[in-house]
Amino acid sequence: MHIHAYEKLWLALSIVLILALIGTVTYGAVGPGVAMVADSQSTIDPAGLDEDERFSEPRVEQVGENEYEAYVVAYQFGFEPTPIVVPANSTVTLHVTSRDVIHGFQVVGTSANTMVVPGEVSEITVETDEPTEYGLLCNEYCGAGHHVMEGKLHVVSRSEFENRGGDSA
Amino acid sequence: MARSETAHTGADDVGGDGEEFDPIGTLTLIGIYFAILVLAWVYIYFVEFLGRDLVIVG
Repeated sequence: MHIHAYEKLWLALSIVLILALIGTVTYGAVGPGVAMVADSQSTIDPAGLDEDERFSEPRVEQVGENEYEAYVVAYQFGFEPTPIVVPANSTVTLHVTSRDVIHGFQVVGTSANTMVVPGEVSEITVETDEPTEYGLLCNEYCGAGHHVMEGKLHVVSRSEFENRGGDSA
Repeated sequence: MARSETAHTGADDVGGDGEEFDPIGTLTLIGIYFAILVLAWVYIYFVEFLGRDLVIVG
């Protein structure tokens, strides 16, 4: 079978492109450590969040040297706590759940984004840099007030975080 | 279908490298598309995705 030289070139480049796509994604997982939102968390009763020790009082708490856990409840139409206040240059694990319908949890302009499903806890770990303020929005249509559902994520300096008592005011 | 290519096809084609059909314009166009694809992927993945704050790491 005769294959035109240009076609051979194109086939070779196609294979290179496929390998490059797989290679870059592999690099992302191995190098910067990009992870997916896992379903490793156990389920939760969305009507009983008030009795759940993690979500009865949505908050941010320190769990290690430089590690923090944030417990966030999404509801029609907002996020609790708001603002979510976390310290700069630290590792923050956000646990997000919903008490009513499916919501989205997107830190605007960043890669932190997950669905929030009632009965499930979405867990994402991110690393904060400098103090800044991010917007937070719901990106799953959740009802008549969906378009006004927003929150704030404030990254503050370590000293300011400690002055606040380590919790979200 | 090869019939429509008329008399030149067939025996002439055994020549190998001496391509008679030489669509350099198409090759150039495909090359440009390829370059756009590669540049777009580099931009989307390394700049827009990995370059943003708060990459999910766990």
